Amino acid sequence: MLDRIVLSRRQNIPWHLRSATFIAGLALGLGISCLILLAAGVSFDDIVDDLITQVFFTADGLAQTATQAAPLILVGLSSAASAKVRFWNIGLEGQVWWGAIAATWIGLDAPGWLPWRLPLLLLISAAAGAIWILLPLWLKLRYRVSEVVLTLLLTNVAFLSVQYLLFGRWKDPATGFPVSPMIDPAARLAQLGWGSVHAGLILAAVIAVMLWVLFDRTRFGFYAAAVGLNTDAALASGLPVVSAVTCCVLMSGALSGLAGGVIVAGTEYHLTTFIADNYTFSGITIAFLARFSPLGVVAAALAVSGMYTAGGTLKVFYSLSEATVVLIEGVILMSLLLARFFSLYRIDLTHWRAVR
Amino acid sequence: MIAVAVPDREGGVALALHRVSKSFDGRKVLDDARFAVRWGEVHALLGENGAGKSTIMNVATGVYIADTGVTEIDGVATRIASPIEASRHGIGMVHQHFRLVNRFTVAENILLAAGPEAGIRNLDQAARLVAAKGSEVGLGIDPAARVCDLSVAERQRVEILKVLILGARIVILDEPTAVLSDQEATSLLRFTRGLADTGHAVVLITHKLREVVGHSDRVTVMRGGRTVLADCPTTGLDEAELARQMIGERVAPLRHLEAHPGAPRLVVRDLTVARADGGKGVDGLSLELRGGEILGIAGVGGNGQQQLADCLIGLATASRGEIQLMGRPVVAASVAARRGGGLRMIPSDRFASGLIGDMSVAENLAMTHLAGRYSRWKGFLARGRMRRDARAAITTFNIAGATPERRARLLSGGNAQKLLLSREVDSELTVLVAHSPTRGLDVKACQFVHGAIQDSVAAGAACLLISDDLEEILSLSTRIAVMSRGRLVGEFPAREATAEKLGLLMMNHA
Amino acid sequence: MTEFLVTWLAGTPSYAMPLLLASLGLILSERAGVLNLSAEGIMAVGAMTAAVTTLLMGHPWLGLLAGAGAGIALSAVFGLAVVVFRVDQILAGLATVAIGIGITGVIGRPYVHQTVTGIDPVQLPVLSAIPVIGPVLFHQDPLFYLAVVLALMASWMLARTRFGLRWRAVGEDPAAADIAGVDVQVTQLLAVLASGALCGLAGGYLSVVSSQVWVEGMVAGRGWIAIGLVIFVRWSPVRAIFGALLFGGASALTPRLLATGANVPVYLMMMLPYLLTIAVLAIPAMFKLGRGPEPENLGTVYLRQDRR
Repeated sequence: MLDRIVLSRRQNIPWHLRSATFIAGLALGLGISCLILLAAGVSFDDIVDDLITQVFFTADGLAQTATQAAPLILVGLSSAASAKVRFWNIGLEGQVWWGAIAATWIGLDAPGWLPWRLPLLLLISAAAGAIWILLPLWLKLRYRVSEVVLTLLLTNVAFLSVQYLLFGRWKDPATGFPVSPMIDPAARLAQLGWGSVHAGLILAAVIAVMLWVLFDRTRFGFYAAAVGLNTDAALASGLPVVSAVTCCVLMSGALSGLAGGVIVAGTEYHLTTFIADNYTFSGITIAFLARFSPLGVVAAALAVSGMYTAGGTLKVFYSLSEATVVLIEGVILMSLLLARFFSLYRIDLTHWRAVR
Repeated sequence: MIAVAVPDREGGVALALHRVSKSFDGRKVLDDARFAVRWGEVHALLGENGAGKSTIMNVATGVYIADTGVTEIDGVATRIASPIEASRHGIGMVHQHFRLVNRFTVAENILLAAGPEAGIRNLDQAARLVAAKGSEVGLGIDPAARVCDLSVAERQRVEILKVLILGARIVILDEPTAVLSDQEATSLLRFTRGLADTGHAVVLITHKLREVVGHSDRVTVMRGGRTVLADCPTTGLDEAELARQMIGERVAPLRHLEAHPGAPRLVVRDLTVARADGGKGVDGLSLELRGGEILGIAGVGGNGQQQLADCLIGLATASRGEIQLMGRPVVAASVAARRGGGLRMIPSDRFASGLIGDMSVAENLAMTHLAGRYSRWKGFLARGRMRRDARAAITTFNIAGATPERRARLLSGGNAQKLLLSREVDSELTVLVAHSPTRGLDVKACQFVHGAIQDSVAAGAACLLISDDLEEILSLSTRIAVMSRGRLVGEFPAREATAEKLGLLMMNHA
Repeated sequence: MTEFLVTWLAGTPSYAMPLLLASLGLILSERAGVLNLSAEGIMAVGAMTAAVTTLLMGHPWLGLLAGAGAGIALSAVFGLAVVVFRVDQILAGLATVAIGIGITGVIGRPYVHQTVTGIDPVQLPVLSAIPVIGPVLFHQDPLFYLAVVLALMASWMLARTRFGLRWRAVGEDPAAADIAGVDVQVTQLLAVLASGALCGLAGGYLSVVSSQVWVEGMVAGRGWIAIGLVIFVRWSPVRAIFGALLFGGASALTPRLLATGANVPVYLMMMLPYLLTIAVLAIPAMFKLGRGPEPENLGTVYLRQDRR
């Protein structure tokens, strides 16, 4: 029935077609998102005013957007780094959680000379994220167990670990709320004097540039690209496939862990049960929006961060759930995926009318 | 049972295609082509790889829908938009890559394709019909056997039975002898004659001249997507003339290389390699390869050739045995270490494990020497040098359509193979493992590949040529061995080997 | 001790049910070659729709039906994307999860924490009086029996009918199925919709039958566990019954232990089903056990015009 639509794969997709379908997909996604908001009772004027003007064109809104962008850039890079070698890291959130746990631990308990606290905190949170992805990585490389389900399930385990700590050891002794004590001021990231924007944004941007150099200019980037595009050919050419995959995936885990560290040391200063919400979908959406380019991730993260700021407004004024942002991310991701169809395939509908 | 209507022996045209054109992604693969087969004849459709012969038959069976053109069955214009419609019109095709579900049994595959309309409602009926039809046409097969346990020749029988049970009167066979030993091929060709004698129209897609002259009534020749010779009776036809029609120009015969064997370069002892499914791919194989010789390994595909090639380059692990490269044991060495010893590889599927289609020509050329030649300070890539070297290679090897920046996937099959050769046949080459190096190439590209292999061997390299193309083995090798069920079952100097001798050894294959 | 065991085992099926229904759906989809990661989102939508419908209409069965219907609707989006638009199945699945989880938060917010009329267990006469086995096996809600019957039917359909043969052929080798006249795309769409119905029902069971209340995020990873379960039971509907009971047992353990007043680390206990899933995925692979028939074409795009 549907086979009357005759498709053939395009071997060479011209850049203008690629961009046109990308823009069309984005427009479709945003359009559907607007419709959803309208249906939820948000007026059109408010959508334009609150969600665009307030978020991107006022100093406060922009500052908030920039603040939230720091961890989003990091999870976007994390998703892009593992996607580069075709490893599905769908457990970004779990690594963010463990990064946040590690950061809280260092911020609360680490002994030693004060100036070392912050670098140590960032380092340990990155290491915690990397450790959290070690098991799926090892099982995939050694026994070919699919990483998709494993990384997802480990997210739930990580979240339960957070709850275990927050309802146990780190419970607020005064109120009994599941909120850890505040971390040491010496372990916090410096404020830049613009809203609550902190040094984490600079850190994230610098890492993005470094990753761009790494993936675009060095031998290691070539290995990673080759493995992602054709593992068998990379193996047969004698490229170090296993170490390229290992490095990229550990880097992915470390970046997500670092995002957790930046959230704790940059904005929250303590651990709660909400801080890593939805980072998996955000990371994947950002990486996909950026077409897996590290520099593109910065731009895409700013856009998604704007959605978060807008989501905060919606929450306050329309009592919409945080889930609105997830819904919009899902809609945009799906629209982009659907739109790609029109650039990947040449579509011939002339045989459609032949249906009886 | 389906009653097959038997039209007159010298009947009219059974299936005709007129003015068929078809493009894939803007590339024309059929250009105003035509073809006609009559009832009761075996009609050869001759052409080189890429001439469009499979494509036009896929149009006839509804796998592809042509951009323009008319299909006529029994003189009536008919629209065929899917394989099932073709089947309803009595057209059946045995594809070169069999369309059988490997994990299903023979009966299940028949039940899958032939439903109540063919009188089959359950597995028992399917099994009975397989047995009945099999004994009627002389193709016995166990209906309860799983397809993955059958040999290639047996799978082909299942495909033919399936097509006949579905009631095909026009039977199309796509390169049916490519996967068979000489003796099996002869018996298959005899079987197609029998089909024609019972009134079927049989189309035999082939690139082998021998099959045209000896085993068909009429021939149509295609070249570059066009029909260059249509409906020509084969009696008294000149093979040389047919070859000229097929290729379009005269091709110089391959010069014969005299062997000057030097010191042993590759020694394999008692090698055993497992298949992915757990069975034995290579089973206690030993060989010795010296510089200046080409050892041809003949055999029906699927007898462990892939595992042997993979294990030699280092992609598959040997469960037993040893490999020595230039006197050093390498059985546990990495691919990179083996390549460092001068081992090079032309894989059977160039875009699966040779080239990276979505990387540029320059990157594909550089990827085996990244760590040394193409690295600068701190692991930064020397892109300028990659581009310069690529430009030089494109000129030297005359790779048409290539620029250093162009993606490898956009090259034609022959030019992609040239790209691969220009990377693998380099100055450090000591042992070349070439696995079906000309599969899917046209005659000119084949000639280039064979020339490049011979040149490198004349310069002292050793070559292990693994191929299921017997002609390639016979014309290129200086020494020939036959591989069957994972081991070498016979060995001859090239001048003593004949297709018959090799075929007899290949008979007992998996 | 016996009493603890009986209450624990009798509580197991209600924890197993959502997993069984969802993994049945996923088996149907994966046997036709569609890797369906959308379960978590579809269950979320099913749970929300079922609870809201029950609240508005006052009838739990209607709610369950609506849950299944909502599952079908959302999986239609997924099916359209992967079957017609040839979108990568993993990415499309994740996007569907985001849409499903997001939409429940947007629509369901006013209905959070409202008690829903549930479905009473059926006491099979005579049989339920048998000690130990009686309360465990014959005093369950009607959906338990329905799910077991569905699993047996799915198994029979796949293994014994021509329809099932064609269904499996699409998952094994779509090119062969296509040549044999099977409509690959329609079969895959059908499989995706069937899995949507079952996952939606699984979600509805969670909210209407198990908890009798709806809260955001109540699926809590059960969709992912179901995906792992499918691999564990090697794509067999009958084995899925036992697999789901095993996982249900692990999940039922925590609340049972808490009820006895034992001092156990709750959050660590709650990790058990997730850790168990990881273990059953890793251990067979590590020791090369039970390599059953994974559909050969799982997760790949089929295009007739591809030259192969």
